[in-house]
Amino acid sequence: MKRKGFYLISLILIIVLSGCSSNQERIFKKSEILMDTIVSITVVSTSKEKAEAAIDRAFKELKRLEGLLNFYSEESEIAKINRNAGMRPVKVSPETYEVVDRARTISEKTGGAFDITIGSISVLYDFVRKKRPSLQKIQGLLPLVGYKKLVLNPEERTVYLKEKGMKIDPGGIAKGYAADRAVEILKKAGIKAALVAIAGDIRCYGTKPDGGDWIVGIQNPRAEKGEDVFATIRLKDMAISTSGDYQRFFIENGKRYHHILDPSTGLPAEGLISVTVVGPLATYTDSLATAVFVKGLSEGQRLAERMGYYIVAVDRAGNIHISDGIKKKVSLILDRIDVGSEQ
Amino acid sequence: MSLLFISLTGFAAVQRLMPVSTTVTIEAEGRIVYRLSLLKDQRVKVKGPLGYTIVEIKGQKVRVVDSPCPKKYCVLQGWKDRGAIVCLPNRVVVTIGGKDDSQIDAITG
Repeated sequence: MKRKGFYLISLILIIVLSGCSSNQERIFKKSEILMDTIVSITVVSTSKEKAEAAIDRAFKELKRLEGLLNFYSEESEIAKINRNAGMRPVKVSPETYEVVDRARTISEKTGGAFDITIGSISVLYDFVRKKRPSLQKIQGLLPLVGYKKLVLNPEERTVYLKEKGMKIDPGGIAKGYAADRAVEILKKAGIKAALVAIAGDIRCYGTKPDGGDWIVGIQNPRAEKGEDVFATIRLKDMAISTSGDYQRFFIENGKRYHHILDPSTGLPAEGLISVTVVGPLATYTDSLATAVFVKGLSEGQRLAERMGYYIVAVDRAGNIHISDGIKKKVSLILDRIDVGSEQ
Repeated sequence: MSLLFISLTGFAAVQRLMPVSTTVTIEAEGRIVYRLSLLKDQRVKVKGPLGYTIVEIKGQKVRVVDSPCPKKYCVLQGWKDRGAIVCLPNRVVVTIGGKDDSQIDAITG
Protein backbone atom coordinates (compact mmCIF):
# COMPACT_ATOMS: atom_id res chain seq x y z
CA MET A 1 0.00 0.00 0.00
CA LYS A 2 2.80 2.34 0.98
CA ARG A 3 4.55 1.46 -2.23
CA LYS A 4 1.45 2.28 -4.27
CA GLY A 5 1.24 5.66 -2.53
CA PHE A 6 4.86 6.31 -3.42
CA TYR A 7 4.23 5.54 -7.09
CA LEU A 8 1.17 7.76 -7.10
CA ILE A 9 3.08 10.71 -5.65
CA SER A 10 5.92 10.15 -8.13
CA LEU A 11 3.46 10.13 -11.00
CA ILE A 12 1.78 13.34 -9.87
CA LEU A 13 5.18 14.99 -9.43
CA ILE A 14 6.26 14.04 -12.94
CA ILE A 15 3.05 15.42 -14.41
CA VAL A 16 3.40 18.66 -12.45
CA LEU A 17 7.07 19.05 -13.35
CA SER A 18 6.58 18.31 -17.03
CA GLY A 19 3.65 20.68 -17.03
CA CYS A 20 5.95 23.33 -15.63
CA SER A 21 8.71 22.81 -18.13
CA SER A 22 6.50 23.15 -21.19
CA ASN A 23 4.85 26.32 -19.90
CA GLN A 24 7.80 27.80 -18.12
CA GLU A 25 8.18 31.54 -18.22
CA ARG A 26 11.48 32.77 -19.53
CA ILE A 27 13.13 36.12 -20.13
CA PHE A 28 13.70 37.34 -23.69
CA LYS A 29 15.72 40.46 -24.38
CA LYS A 30 16.58 42.43 -27.49
CA SER A 31 18.55 45.66 -27.93
CA GLU A 32 18.67 48.10 -30.80
CA ILE A 33 20.17 51.50 -31.45
CA LEU A 34 17.29 53.94 -31.65
CA MET A 35 16.55 57.53 -30.60
CA ASP A 36 20.31 58.19 -30.50
CA THR A 37 20.83 55.61 -27.79
CA ILE A 38 20.67 51.94 -26.88
CA VAL A 39 17.14 50.66 -26.35
CA SER A 40 16.58 47.31 -24.62
CA ILE A 41 13.30 45.49 -24.33
CA THR A 42 13.07 42.59 -21.90
CA VAL A 43 9.90 40.50 -21.74
CA VAL A 44 8.71 37.53 -19.72
CA SER A 45 6.91 34.92 -21.79
CA THR A 46 6.32 31.20 -22.12
CA SER A 47 6.75 31.41 -25.87
CA LYS A 48 9.77 32.57 -27.83
CA GLU A 49 7.64 33.38 -30.88
CA LYS A 50 5.16 35.43 -28.88
CA ALA A 51 7.98 37.30 -27.12
CA GLU A 52 9.79 38.09 -30.35
CA ALA A 53 6.64 39.23 -32.12
CA ALA A 54 5.75 41.55 -29.23
CA ILE A 55 9.27 42.97 -28.99
CA ASP A 56 9.36 43.60 -32.74
CA ARG A 57 6.03 45.39 -32.59
CA ALA A 58 7.30 47.60 -29.76
CA PHE A 59 10.48 48.44 -31.67
CA LYS A 60 8.42 49.30 -34.72
CA GLU A 61 6.42 51.77 -32.66
CA LEU A 62 9.61 53.28 -31.22
CA LYS A 63 10.99 53.79 -34.73
CA ARG A 64 7.76 55.53 -35.72
CA LEU A 65 7.97 57.79 -32.66
CA GLU A 66 11.60 58.58 -33.42
CA GLY A 67 10.50 59.77 -36.85
CA LEU A 68 7.88 62.07 -35.32
CA LEU A 69 9.85 63.45 -32.38
CA ASN A 70 13.47 63.76 -33.53
CA PHE A 71 14.64 67.31 -32.72
CA TYR A 72 17.55 67.00 -35.18
CA SER A 73 15.69 65.63 -38.20
CA GLU A 74 14.15 68.07 -40.66
CA GLU A 75 11.49 65.46 -41.43
CA SER A 76 10.07 65.22 -37.91
CA GLU A 77 6.86 66.85 -36.72
CA ILE A 78 8.87 68.65 -34.05
CA ALA A 79 11.04 70.25 -36.75
CA LYS A 80 7.89 71.26 -38.61
CA ILE A 81 6.46 72.95 -35.49
CA ASN A 82 9.78 74.76 -34.99
CA ARG A 83 10.01 75.89 -38.63
CA ASN A 84 6.54 77.38 -38.37
CA ALA A 85 7.18 79.22 -35.10
CA GLY A 86 5.67 82.70 -35.18
CA MET A 87 3.87 81.87 -38.43
CA ARG A 88 1.18 79.21 -38.13
CA PRO A 89 -0.10 76.31 -36.01
CA VAL A 90 0.96 72.85 -37.20
CA LYS A 91 -1.37 69.86 -37.21
CA VAL A 92 0.39 66.88 -35.66
CA SER A 93 -0.12 63.19 -34.90
CA PRO A 94 -1.92 62.23 -31.67
CA GLU A 95 1.41 61.08 -30.21
CA THR A 96 3.31 64.31 -30.88
CA TYR A 97 0.36 66.24 -29.51
CA GLU A 98 0.31 64.09 -26.38
CA VAL A 99 4.04 64.57 -25.74
CA VAL A 100 3.81 68.34 -26.08
CA ASP A 101 0.64 68.44 -24.00
CA ARG A 102 2.21 66.41 -21.18
CA ALA A 103 5.35 68.54 -21.39
CA ARG A 104 3.21 71.62 -20.87
CA THR A 105 1.52 69.98 -17.88
CA ILE A 106 4.91 69.36 -16.25
CA SER A 107 6.01 72.91 -17.09
CA GLU A 108 2.92 74.29 -15.35
CA LYS A 109 3.29 72.05 -12.32
CA THR A 110 6.98 72.90 -11.92
CA GLY A 111 6.67 76.61 -12.62
CA GLY A 112 8.79 76.25 -15.75
CA ALA A 113 11.68 74.30 -14.17
CA PHE A 114 11.08 71.89 -17.02
CA ASP A 115 10.36 73.71 -20.26
CA ILE A 116 10.10 71.98 -23.62
CA THR A 117 10.65 75.34 -25.39
CA ILE A 118 14.31 75.41 -24.28
CA GLY A 119 15.34 74.40 -27.85
CA SER A 120 16.68 77.77 -29.05
CA ILE A 121 19.29 77.62 -26.26
CA SER A 122 19.96 73.87 -25.89
CA VAL A 123 20.92 73.72 -29.57
CA LEU A 124 23.87 76.07 -28.89
CA TYR A 125 25.66 73.67 -26.54
CA ASP A 126 27.96 70.98 -27.98
CA PHE A 127 29.21 68.77 -25.16
CA VAL A 128 31.40 66.62 -27.36
CA ARG A 129 33.27 69.55 -28.89
CA LYS A 130 33.18 71.43 -25.57
CA LYS A 131 31.35 74.44 -26.95
CA ARG A 132 28.95 76.68 -25.08
CA PRO A 133 27.24 79.92 -26.01
CA SER A 134 28.36 83.26 -24.57
CA LEU A 135 26.33 84.80 -21.76
CA GLN A 136 25.35 87.60 -24.11
CA LYS A 137 24.05 85.17 -26.70
CA ILE A 138 22.05 83.27 -24.07
CA GLN A 139 20.51 86.45 -22.71
CA GLY A 140 19.53 87.51 -26.20
CA LEU A 141 17.70 84.22 -26.79
CA LEU A 142 16.08 83.75 -23.36
CA PRO A 143 12.87 85.57 -24.41
CA LEU A 144 12.33 82.68 -26.86
CA VAL A 145 12.05 80.22 -23.97
CA GLY A 146 8.65 80.04 -22.34
CA TYR A 147 5.96 77.37 -22.28
CA LYS A 148 3.31 80.06 -21.87
CA LYS A 149 3.95 80.98 -25.49
CA LEU A 150 3.15 77.44 -26.55
CA VAL A 151 -0.40 77.20 -27.91
CA LEU A 152 -2.18 73.87 -28.09
CA ASN A 153 -5.51 73.36 -29.76
CA PRO A 154 -7.03 69.99 -28.84
CA GLU A 155 -9.90 70.21 -31.34
CA GLU A 156 -7.64 70.90 -34.30
CA ARG A 157 -4.76 68.91 -32.75
CA THR A 158 -2.34 71.70 -33.56
CA VAL A 159 0.78 73.04 -31.87
CA TYR A 160 1.90 76.63 -32.29
CA LEU A 161 4.92 78.52 -31.00
CA LYS A 162 3.97 82.17 -30.78
CA GLU A 163 7.35 83.72 -31.60
CA LYS A 164 9.65 83.21 -34.54
CA GLY A 165 12.86 81.49 -33.47
CA MET A 166 11.21 79.53 -30.65
CA LYS A 167 12.09 75.84 -30.65
CA ILE A 168 10.63 72.79 -28.97
CA ASP A 169 13.34 70.38 -27.76
CA PRO A 170 11.61 67.17 -26.64
CA GLY A 171 14.92 65.72 -25.33
CA GLY A 172 13.77 65.81 -21.72
CA ILE A 173 10.53 63.91 -22.22
CA ALA A 174 10.51 61.97 -25.53
CA LYS A 175 12.41 58.92 -24.30
CA GLY A 176 10.17 58.56 -21.28
CA TYR A 177 7.09 58.89 -23.46
CA ALA A 178 8.48 56.29 -25.86
CA ALA A 179 9.04 53.85 -22.95
CA ASP A 180 5.40 54.31 -21.93
CA ARG A 181 4.21 53.69 -25.50
CA ALA A 182 6.37 50.56 -25.83
CA VAL A 183 4.84 49.20 -22.63
CA GLU A 184 1.33 49.83 -24.01
CA ILE A 185 2.25 47.87 -27.15
CA LEU A 186 3.67 44.97 -25.14
CA LYS A 187 0.59 44.82 -22.92
CA LYS A 188 -1.67 44.78 -25.98
CA ALA A 189 0.40 41.92 -27.39
CA GLY A 190 -0.45 39.90 -24.28
CA ILE A 191 2.90 40.18 -22.50
CA LYS A 192 2.35 39.86 -18.74
CA ALA A 193 5.67 41.34 -17.59
CA ALA A 194 8.33 43.45 -19.26
CA LEU A 195 10.98 46.11 -18.87
CA VAL A 196 11.67 48.77 -21.49
CA ALA A 197 14.89 50.74 -21.11
CA ILE A 198 15.50 53.67 -23.43
CA ALA A 199 18.95 54.49 -22.12
CA GLY A 200 18.20 55.54 -18.53
CA ASP A 201 14.45 56.05 -19.01
CA ILE A 202 12.91 52.80 -17.87
CA ARG A 203 9.39 51.48 -17.40
CA CYS A 204 8.55 48.02 -16.12
CA TYR A 205 5.48 46.02 -15.17
CA GLY A 206 4.71 42.59 -13.78
CA THR A 207 7.28 40.36 -12.14
CA LYS A 208 10.20 38.27 -13.33
CA PRO A 209 9.77 34.47 -13.81
CA ASP A 210 10.95 33.86 -10.22
CA GLY A 211 8.20 36.17 -8.96
CA GLY A 212 10.71 38.86 -8.03
CA ASP A 213 10.58 42.58 -8.77
CA TRP A 214 12.65 44.15 -11.52
CA ILE A 215 15.96 45.46 -10.21
CA VAL A 216 17.33 48.73 -11.56
CA GLY A 217 20.76 50.06 -10.68
CA ILE A 218 21.28 53.81 -10.28
CA GLN A 219 24.44 55.06 -11.94
CA ASN A 220 27.10 56.55 -9.68
CA PRO A 221 27.38 60.17 -10.87
CA ARG A 222 31.10 60.09 -10.17
CA ALA A 223 31.80 56.52 -11.31
CA GLU A 224 35.39 57.40 -12.18
CA LYS A 225 36.02 57.43 -8.42
CA GLY A 226 34.48 54.05 -7.59
CA GLU A 227 31.50 51.78 -8.11
CA ASP A 228 29.47 52.03 -11.31
CA VAL A 229 26.19 51.83 -9.46
CA PHE A 230 25.55 53.46 -6.06
CA ALA A 231 22.16 51.93 -5.31
CA THR A 232 19.69 49.40 -6.59
CA ILE A 233 15.94 49.73 -6.47
CA ARG A 234 13.25 47.08 -6.71
CA LEU A 235 10.39 48.04 -9.01
CA LYS A 236 7.06 46.63 -10.04
CA ASP A 237 4.67 48.52 -12.33
CA MET A 238 6.85 51.60 -12.15
CA ALA A 239 8.97 53.93 -14.24
CA ILE A 240 12.34 55.43 -13.37
CA SER A 241 14.55 58.10 -14.94
CA THR A 242 17.73 59.90 -13.99
CA SER A 243 19.11 63.30 -14.86
CA GLY A 244 22.74 63.88 -14.00
CA ASP A 245 25.47 66.42 -14.61
CA TYR A 246 27.75 63.58 -15.76
CA GLN A 247 25.72 62.40 -18.75
CA ARG A 248 26.72 65.09 -21.21
CA PHE A 249 29.24 67.61 -19.97
CA PHE A 250 32.67 69.14 -20.30
CA ILE A 251 34.94 70.83 -17.83
CA GLU A 252 36.39 74.25 -18.61
CA ASN A 253 38.73 76.02 -16.18
CA GLY A 254 37.69 73.60 -13.44
CA LYS A 255 33.97 74.27 -13.93
CA ARG A 256 31.56 71.63 -15.13
CA TYR A 257 29.17 72.58 -17.93
CA HIS A 258 26.42 69.99 -18.37
CA HIS A 259 23.25 69.52 -20.39
CA ILE A 260 20.57 70.13 -17.74
CA LEU A 261 19.75 73.74 -18.40
CA ASP A 262 17.79 76.03 -16.12
CA PRO A 263 15.15 77.53 -18.44
CA SER A 264 15.17 80.77 -16.43
CA THR A 265 18.89 81.41 -17.05
CA GLY A 266 19.84 79.21 -20.01
CA LEU A 267 22.79 77.99 -17.95
CA PRO A 268 23.49 74.52 -16.49
CA ALA A 269 21.51 74.12 -13.25
CA GLU A 270 23.53 73.95 -10.03
CA GLY A 271 22.91 72.35 -6.66
CA LEU A 272 22.46 68.65 -7.35
CA ILE A 273 24.58 66.25 -9.38
CA SER A 274 22.07 63.46 -9.95
CA VAL A 275 18.30 63.13 -9.64
CA THR A 276 16.43 59.86 -10.07
CA VAL A 277 12.64 60.00 -10.16
CA VAL A 278 10.38 56.97 -9.62
CA GLY A 279 6.66 56.82 -10.35
CA PRO A 280 3.91 55.41 -12.56
CA LEU A 281 4.69 57.04 -15.95
CA ALA A 282 8.08 57.32 -17.65
CA THR A 283 6.88 60.46 -19.47
CA TYR A 284 6.76 62.14 -16.07
CA THR A 285 9.79 60.49 -14.43
CA ASP A 286 11.85 61.70 -17.42
CA SER A 287 10.65 65.31 -17.35
CA LEU A 288 10.42 65.54 -13.55
CA ALA A 289 14.05 64.39 -13.20
CA THR A 290 15.05 67.53 -15.11
CA ALA A 291 12.62 69.71 -13.16
CA VAL A 292 13.80 68.46 -9.74
CA PHE A 293 17.42 68.92 -10.81
CA VAL A 294 16.65 72.54 -11.75
CA LYS A 295 14.50 73.30 -8.69
CA GLY A 296 16.97 71.89 -6.20
CA LEU A 297 16.46 69.35 -3.46
CA SER A 298 13.77 70.57 -1.08
CA GLU A 299 11.49 72.31 -3.54
CA GLY A 300 12.06 69.68 -6.23
CA GLN A 301 11.30 66.83 -3.87
CA ARG A 302 8.10 68.52 -2.69
CA LEU A 303 6.97 69.05 -6.29
CA ALA A 304 7.60 65.44 -7.28
CA GLU A 305 5.98 63.97 -4.18
CA ARG A 306 2.91 66.15 -4.61
CA MET A 307 2.43 64.42 -7.97
CA GLY A 308 2.90 60.95 -6.44
CA TYR A 309 6.51 60.58 -7.60
CA TYR A 310 9.59 59.83 -5.46
CA ILE A 311 13.22 60.82 -5.73
CA VAL A 312 16.75 59.62 -5.06
CA ALA A 313 19.03 62.64 -5.32
CA VAL A 314 22.73 63.28 -4.85
CA ASP A 315 23.84 66.76 -3.80
CA ARG A 316 27.13 68.45 -4.63
CA ALA A 317 28.72 67.23 -1.40
CA GLY A 318 27.91 63.64 -2.38
CA ASN A 319 25.11 63.11 0.14
CA ILE A 320 22.30 60.81 -0.97
CA HIS A 321 18.68 61.85 -0.31
CA ILE A 322 15.80 59.38 -0.68
CA SER A 323 12.03 60.01 -0.48
CA ASP A 324 10.49 58.21 2.50
CA GLY A 325 7.97 56.54 0.17
CA ILE A 326 10.63 54.42 -1.57
CA LYS A 327 13.25 53.95 1.15
CA LYS A 328 12.23 50.32 1.60
CA LYS A 329 12.76 49.59 -2.09
CA VAL A 330 16.26 51.06 -2.24
CA SER A 331 19.46 49.21 -1.33
CA LEU A 332 22.44 51.51 -1.01
CA ILE A 333 25.76 50.20 -2.24
CA LEU A 334 27.57 53.40 -1.29
CA ASP A 335 26.57 55.49 1.72
CA ARG A 336 27.75 58.64 -0.02
CA ILE A 337 29.31 59.60 -3.32
CA ASP A 338 32.98 60.57 -3.43
CA VAL A 339 32.83 63.84 -5.37
CA GLY A 340 36.55 64.58 -5.05
CA SER A 341 37.73 68.17 -5.03
CA GLU A 342 35.59 69.43 -7.89
CA GLN A 343 33.73 72.64 -7.18
CA MET B 1 23.35 49.12 12.07
CA SER B 2 20.59 48.27 9.67
CA LEU B 3 21.95 50.81 7.22
CA LEU B 4 25.38 49.26 7.53
CA PHE B 5 23.85 45.84 6.91
CA ILE B 6 22.03 47.02 3.80
CA SER B 7 25.15 48.75 2.63
CA LEU B 8 27.36 45.72 3.11
CA THR B 9 24.98 43.24 1.56
CA GLY B 10 24.38 45.59 -1.33
CA PHE B 11 28.10 45.96 -1.82
CA ALA B 12 28.65 42.23 -1.68
CA ALA B 13 25.81 41.57 -4.11
CA VAL B 14 27.02 44.04 -6.66
CA GLN B 15 30.62 42.94 -6.32
CA ARG B 16 29.42 39.45 -7.11
CA LEU B 17 27.03 40.48 -9.82
CA MET B 18 29.26 42.98 -11.50
CA PRO B 19 32.78 41.67 -11.33
CA VAL B 20 35.50 43.95 -12.58
CA SER B 21 35.29 42.64 -16.08
CA THR B 22 38.12 42.29 -18.52
CA THR B 23 35.86 41.57 -21.45
CA VAL B 24 35.35 43.96 -24.34
CA THR B 25 32.29 43.17 -26.42
CA ILE B 26 31.93 44.72 -29.86
CA GLU B 27 28.56 44.68 -31.56
CA ALA B 28 27.80 45.76 -35.12
CA GLU B 29 24.23 46.22 -36.31
CA GLY B 30 22.91 44.41 -33.23
CA ARG B 31 25.18 41.37 -33.54
CA ILE B 32 28.14 40.51 -31.35
CA VAL B 33 31.17 40.33 -33.62
CA TYR B 34 33.99 40.25 -31.06
CA ARG B 35 34.52 39.30 -27.44
CA LEU B 36 38.04 40.42 -26.60
CA SER B 37 40.21 40.58 -23.51
CA LEU B 38 40.96 44.01 -22.10
CA LEU B 39 44.32 42.61 -21.01
CA LYS B 40 45.60 42.01 -24.53
CA ASP B 41 46.64 45.00 -26.62
CA GLN B 42 45.15 44.75 -30.10
CA ARG B 43 43.34 46.53 -32.92
CA VAL B 44 40.28 45.23 -34.74
CA LYS B 45 38.18 46.40 -37.68
CA VAL B 46 34.40 46.12 -37.46
CA LYS B 47 32.16 46.53 -40.49
CA GLY B 48 29.05 48.68 -40.16
CA PRO B 49 26.69 50.12 -42.78
CA LEU B 50 29.01 53.09 -43.47
CA GLY B 51 32.27 51.15 -43.53
CA TYR B 52 34.89 50.10 -41.00
CA THR B 53 35.15 51.26 -37.40
CA ILE B 54 38.60 50.66 -35.93
CA VAL B 55 38.76 49.79 -32.23
CA GLU B 56 41.98 49.68 -30.24
CA ILE B 57 42.69 48.07 -26.87
CA LYS B 58 45.87 49.22 -25.12
CA GLY B 59 46.98 49.31 -21.49
CA GLN B 60 43.58 47.96 -20.34
CA LYS B 61 41.73 50.80 -22.04
CA VAL B 62 39.65 50.96 -25.19
CA ARG B 63 39.10 53.63 -27.83
CA VAL B 64 37.65 54.05 -31.28
CA VAL B 65 40.59 55.04 -33.46
CA ASP B 66 38.51 55.87 -36.52
CA SER B 67 35.00 55.46 -37.83
CA PRO B 68 33.29 56.51 -41.06
CA CYS B 69 30.71 58.63 -39.19
CA PRO B 70 30.39 62.34 -40.02
CA LYS B 71 30.83 63.86 -36.55
CA LYS B 72 33.36 61.43 -35.01
CA TYR B 73 31.72 61.60 -31.57
CA CYS B 74 32.89 58.05 -30.88
CA VAL B 75 36.51 58.96 -31.65
CA LEU B 76 36.31 62.13 -29.56
CA GLN B 77 35.33 60.09 -26.48
CA GLY B 78 38.94 58.88 -26.29
CA TRP B 79 40.16 56.08 -24.01
CA LYS B 80 37.69 54.31 -21.73
CA ASP B 81 38.18 51.61 -19.12
CA ARG B 82 34.49 51.13 -18.31
CA GLY B 83 31.07 51.74 -19.79
CA ALA B 84 30.53 51.84 -23.51
CA ILE B 85 31.48 53.69 -26.68
CA VAL B 86 28.77 53.90 -29.29
CA CYS B 87 29.05 54.93 -32.93
CA LEU B 88 25.43 55.57 -33.76
CA PRO B 89 25.79 56.25 -37.51
CA ASN B 90 27.87 53.11 -38.12
CA ARG B 91 25.81 51.11 -35.57
CA VAL B 92 28.82 49.88 -33.59
CA VAL B 93 28.66 49.40 -29.81
CA VAL B 94 31.80 48.72 -27.78
CA THR B 95 31.01 47.61 -24.23
CA ILE B 96 33.57 47.16 -21.50
CA GLY B 97 32.45 44.92 -18.68
CA GLY B 98 30.11 42.05 -18.10
CA LYS B 99 26.86 43.67 -17.06
CA ASP B 100 24.96 41.12 -19.14
CA ASP B 101 25.59 38.50 -16.47
CA SER B 102 24.35 40.59 -13.57
CA GLN B 103 21.02 40.29 -11.86
CA ILE B 104 20.49 44.00 -12.34
CA ASP B 105 17.90 44.22 -15.10
CA ALA B 106 18.74 47.75 -16.23
CA ILE B 107 20.66 50.84 -15.19
CA THR B 108 19.24 54.34 -14.97
CA GLY B 109 21.61 57.25 -15.30
